[in-house]
Amino acid sequence: MAIEYQPKIVGFLCNWCSYAGADVAGTSRICYPPNIRIIRVPCSGRIDPLLVVKSFQQGADGVLIAGCHPGDCHYTEGNYYARRRLALLRPFLEYIGIEKERFRVEWVSASEGKKWAQVVSSFTDELYKLGPREMTLAKGTG
Amino acid sequence: MDLGEQIRNKAKELIEIETVDCVIGYERATDGVGARPLFAYKPEEVDRLIFDQTCTHNLAKYLLNRKDKATAIVVKPCDSRAINLLLNESQIQRDKLFIIGVACPGITKTGLNNTSEELQAACQICQQHTPVIYDFLVGEPPASEPDIAEAYADVAAMEGQSAEERRAFWEEQFSRCIRCYACRQVCPGCYCTECFVERLDPLWVGIRIAPEENEVWNTIRAFHLAGRCIACNECERVCPVNIPLSLLNRKLEEEVRELFNFQAGMDAETPAPFATYKKEEVFPEIG
Ligand code: SF4
Ligand code: SF4
Ligand code: FES
Repeated sequence: MAIEYQPKIVGFLCNWCSYAGADVAGTSRICYPPNIRIIRVPCSGRIDPLLVVKSFQQGADGVLIAGCHPGDCHYTEGNYYARRRLALLRPFLEYIGIEKERFRVEWVSASEGKKWAQVVSSFTDELYKLGPREMTLAKGTG
Repeated sequence: MDLGEQIRNKAKELIEIETVDCVIGYERATDGVGARPLFAYKPEEVDRLIFDQTCTHNLAKYLLNRKDKATAIVVKPCDSRAINLLLNESQIQRDKLFIIGVACPGITKTGLNNTSEELQAACQICQQHTPVIYDFLVGEPPASEPDIAEAYADVAAMEGQSAEERRAFWEEQFSRCIRCYACRQVCPGCYCTECFVERLDPLWVGIRIAPEENEVWNTIRAFHLAGRCIACNECERVCPVNIPLSLLNRKLEEEVRELFNFQAGMDAETPAPFATYKKEEVFPEIG
């Protein structure tokens, strides 16, 4: 029996804004798709492209990075650095065949519970459309 | 006076008056055709120095072993950019260095027991025929530089394919990687004492043979050189399974040029794109 495709999203959320924003979505009982696995990081500046590539390698269909709006980073400038790295990472992923629609960077503040829910919903929809991310070559074991 | 002779004369002077205690350059390899690195400490060793279109190695890598020792080095234009990179990243000291720059006509595909007149791929599209930093210059740069669009023609062709085609292409390429790490060892920009690929906890790149493990290695290796790669193409030259690493490197180079208006190694002062930011900049792709 074929198992229905459920996109798996790995979300890296900065502790100070986006994680709090996701919390607000929860406490305000806003519904959004359960496809995201959230990993809390101190700041979007913590996001090493390795974490993104590794998430895809481990089977993620999409990766979402969320941090404070530019100007609002708890550490003042973490997201300014992050934004440069991620702006380069996205076209690079596209180039090696990971569609850029599978990689999103969003700024979500601690009060934007609604925006958080919208981001996850629209990302999940998009990943449904794209379908699962598959390797064409035989997979190794393990 | 041929280039080799000019280099020998200068090197001998530097050793004799003890400006430096070592000159890093090239000598004829044992096959009698190619070149290999030479470390000359004595005037009679200096006599073995040569320069011709077989001198492919980027010797700047060796400066990392001689950080506080007075050293002279022979550099081609791409290698000279590696020196700027290492100065910029505070890995070497300018006052310990004497740089013998060579205006470069391009290096041929001549390798072990193999003579060829054809230029290496990187040299066919090279934009930089005069070293960007030197104390003493030998040689004449060629009259014309190739068109910049040509330098990225293969990158553009890759971009023109579908995501599926690109995916299949890179998977096939990466699946051949034997993870010998020659590409890393030869790269002047790869000098970390501990590389992510050898971390065991967490194990970022699994030891098993699998294309998806290689993919993590190959993509992150390239990304760690983003805005830092100086286009010597040594990584691609040494890869024993002919993975087109420059096709990754030049994609990043092109994006870095477009996004941040930056080219690695052109001077030793401009901060690297990831070491700085502008508050007002916007990146339509993200946020
Ligand atoms: S030189 Fe080639 S085979 Fe060796 S690790 Fe690098 S890409 Fe893989
Ligand atoms: S990545 Fe390759 S081309 Fe770039 S500096 Fe390193 S060895 Fe040279
Ligand atoms: S703390 Fe949220 S982006 Fe830096």
